[in-house]
Amino acid sequence: MTDQGPAVRLGIQLDPAGDPAAAVELAVTAERLGYDLVIVPGPAEGGWDPWTLLSWIAGRTDRIRLVAAGTDGATAPALLARAAASLDLLVPGRLVLGVAGDGPGPLPDAGVPVWRSGDEHPDLELAGSTADGWIGHLDGSGTHWLQKRLRLLDQAAVRAGRDPRELQRVITLCGVLTDSPTPAEGCLDGPAERWIADLAPLVVEHGVSTFVLRADDATAADRLERFARDVAPGLHEAAARALAAGVLAARPLRRADVRARRRPGIDYDGLPGSLAATAVEPGDAGFGAVRSTYLRGGNPGLVLRPGTVAEVADAVAFARRHQHLPLGVRSGGHGISGRSTNDGGLVIDVGALDRIEVLDERRRLVRIGPGARWKEVALALQPHGWALTSGDYGGVGVGGLATAGGIGFLGRKQGLTIDHLRAVELVLADGSSVRATDSEHPELFWAVRGAGANFGIATAFEFAVDEVPEVGWAQLAFRVDDPAAFLVEFGRVTTAAPRETTPNLIMGGTGVAQLMAMVASDDPDVVLAQLEPFARLAPLVQQQVVIAPYAAIMNMFPDAPHAGVGEPVSRSGLVRALTPEVATASATLLDSGAVHWFQLRSMGGAIADVVPEATAFAHRDAAFSITAMGANAQRVDRWWNGLRPHLSGSYLSFESDPSPDRVPEAFPPRTLARLRALKAELDPTTLFRDNFSVAAAVPTGSSA
Amino acid sequence: MTDYGHDLLFGTFVTPASARPQHAVEQAVVAERAGLDLVTFQDHPYVATFHDTWTLIAYAAARTERIRLTANVTNLPLRLPAVLARTVATADVLSGGRIELGLGAGAFWDGIEAMGGRRLGPGESIEALEEAVTIIRGLWDVEQRGGLTVAGRHYAVHGAERGPAPAHRPGIWIGAYKPRILRTTGRIGDGWLPSVQYLPGGVTDLAGMNGHIDEGAAAAGRDPRDIRRFLNLAGDFGATSRGFLQGPPDQWVEELTDLTLTYGTSGFVLASDDTATTELFAAEVAPAVRSEVARERG
Repeated sequence: MTDQGPAVRLGIQLDPAGDPAAAVELAVTAERLGYDLVIVPGPAEGGWDPWTLLSWIAGRTDRIRLVAAGTDGATAPALLARAAASLDLLVPGRLVLGVAGDGPGPLPDAGVPVWRSGDEHPDLELAGSTADGWIGHLDGSGTHWLQKRLRLLDQAAVRAGRDPRELQRVITLCGVLTDSPTPAEGCLDGPAERWIADLAPLVVEHGVSTFVLRADDATAADRLERFARDVAPGLHEAAARALAAGVLAARPLRRADVRARRRPGIDYDGLPGSLAATAVEPGDAGFGAVRSTYLRGGNPGLVLRPGTVAEVADAVAFARRHQHLPLGVRSGGHGISGRSTNDGGLVIDVGALDRIEVLDERRRLVRIGPGARWKEVALALQPHGWALTSGDYGGVGVGGLATAGGIGFLGRKQGLTIDHLRAVELVLADGSSVRATDSEHPELFWAVRGAGANFGIATAFEFAVDEVPEVGWAQLAFRVDDPAAFLVEFGRVTTAAPRETTPNLIMGGTGVAQLMAMVASDDPDVVLAQLEPFARLAPLVQQQVVIAPYAAIMNMFPDAPHAGVGEPVSRSGLVRALTPEVATASATLLDSGAVHWFQLRSMGGAIADVVPEATAFAHRDAAFSITAMGANAQRVDRWWNGLRPHLSGSYLSFESDPSPDRVPEAFPPRTLARLRALKAELDPTTLFRDNFSVAAAVPTGSSA
Repeated sequence: MTDYGHDLLFGTFVTPASARPQHAVEQAVVAERAGLDLVTFQDHPYVATFHDTWTLIAYAAARTERIRLTANVTNLPLRLPAVLARTVATADVLSGGRIELGLGAGAFWDGIEAMGGRRLGPGESIEALEEAVTIIRGLWDVEQRGGLTVAGRHYAVHGAERGPAPAHRPGIWIGAYKPRILRTTGRIGDGWLPSVQYLPGGVTDLAGMNGHIDEGAAAAGRDPRDIRRFLNLAGDFGATSRGFLQGPPDQWVEELTDLTLTYGTSGFVLASDDTATTELFAAEVAPAVRSEVARERG
């Protein structure tokens, strides 16, 4: 169910001198009663620290907005900015900074809305021209005086070139709700009808969105309840009668400078409330941190960050209404084939779904959210003495890798990551949520293991993992004078190696080859014995061998912000053997200077134990996965095409070419036919098409 | 070689990284659920990728019921003592007495200056720490009549209204390594909170450092047992032993028991940002160390 949008909203202002526990109770009560915000005023002398009280209330409530009205001068501006940014991260979209009219001028930009207060002309000028809202007070002077202030506010906004609707107008009230009319003194003492009659014009004529009760006595909880029950509905009705349909339900406008950066074709204001609080659009302060991914620069129009399965379904529904735009699905943001960022489109980022939990200690069954990263998975499994093969880099997210394959450092011993999958839960294109296993939706379970991105957004994976004591880990660097001969020899040694050992080789144009190998044993003799043939491949210029937990290897590299630029050019191929022909074509490619990254990941071993029909990843006979990256697609392809005739397939995770020609390389004919049939059934409109869509038009033939 | 005879506390030392905003909060919940006594967070306000530590503590305290929380240790040069006193008191009252005050004189002065703090020399920063403690305790002490006046060189309050009072007397636990500040800790601190990785000679340094604290305590007429000795730990669980706190839980039990009996360490705070490590520490290490220590103490 989507929310009904704002109506006339209610708020409560806490008493800074009162009992803090009672203040927290009031905030919780207010939230339960449907109140929209709680204002925590500045400190009374010798009183409670308002920021701490606010942070505590944030921890005890789920939805209510928190207005920190007394932050001026209590702490260094830089520290206030950090504190505000923290709370905004902990409870996204719920924090507002309030500044009194005579408070400090410029506030640190923490990306949090600023509401000003103050009744004097300069205060209203400042609020109207710069703030996101204004907090006014109804006191003994009556509503006419207040209406004059609201007109001045509008005029200031218009003079500053703003749409007055950008400003939220919040009014704190005075008065007592009574059953019998009492003489009016400006405050609203009297029955509900009088409150409604006096307040409705503020909504209708001045766009006041929120009325705030002051909770300054022991009857506050009762008053909250009575106001919500007796005044608010009538007030909303009275205002709705006087206004055009839909006006009251309109969401507050983002500031003009934020709206100005919106992209065409996106119904920003139609975003369901469940997603609005965490969504990021181009003008928002947090956009820089989410626009790009590890290797790809991007400029999406809207990034949705669902935190629950229901929110993923909401996001998918929103995406269905925007099928004219690119749709990226992001877990860790390392994708190469998956366009987990784009230009002007939508991104659904499932990073918040990052739980890791042990389901069954005896069966070593673990449940992992798509937003967890493999380094975290490794750390969580380590104390149990377990490990699950993943990729070669711990920062990679679970979702992308676990729906494509997972060619990792324990691959020859454990197989692909997907070979350990026992269940997966997805939100499909129609928004429904399904669980797929060997027995439930078995065809979908088959398809997810190799082509998952085509069928939905995974929300949880369940893996059976292995006991893995510490592992041997080697980093060897060789001087290579004859790359072709070296590659043939590397292929021979790898193929002959026991399956405990999984080596990866990285070469550039520099005459140096770097080998990283894991040996699934904590016995130093076994580790050295299995590495020894590799050490003799060529003259060593560097060598390091350690015994360490798998988690330590996955956590070798520190986290860095994702700040990819441009579009990566990456090519992927699988080979059944490092034949002299493959080696020569590879050496020619390396010699061309067109690629800066050339990597061989060894396969075989346990990967080949699985029959090709068992999973949508079907190239079980491959011995190596080859990846080449360069700066210029045409140059890379010119030399990569020399390798193509020798390739037996491709691993989609390392292929950046969106051409439909690539699809049959990743999926052999029978696999592709099955995938297409399932795609037609589960995603008939091809909602999921930006990561190796199997529904793409019939291939136009080889471009080689 | 002194065992000060305190009961033992076990806790975690969590990185307040904000990249995944709720992670540090979840780790507090995990520590509580696992039965630990204490969860602590670093406080480096000049690190942009960290949460504001006292905001995080107030929020995490609201999400927990039983566990005690503190900054480990609060960066004093960037926090006004009078504000810090009210922050701690407010959180302590709301949490029913679960907040402690880990406090440091400041270490990374470039970062402190960058955030608008003032660079102090080593002697000055210790003097400032002592003034701050006087102000903090003075503001908490609502039994005293009249406003609080402290005319310090670094901090001054003039007739400040006292209060609010915390729910319990939060322990002031000082992060200290050098002789002078160790003596200050002995004179005014409720606890000592160093990190093992900053001990140049490893844990054997604890003996000499304890001596400075005891000396400071004695000079102020205090019992050395008035100052609880904590230690921030870093370690890895693994099948094989690879060094201090790098190995199976049994090895940890032996090493921590020895720290208590030899150096009087009675608060063990493990750097851990992941659930399984914290759970293992709580389940396999803490109870075994408690019973080993109890057995040895007889």
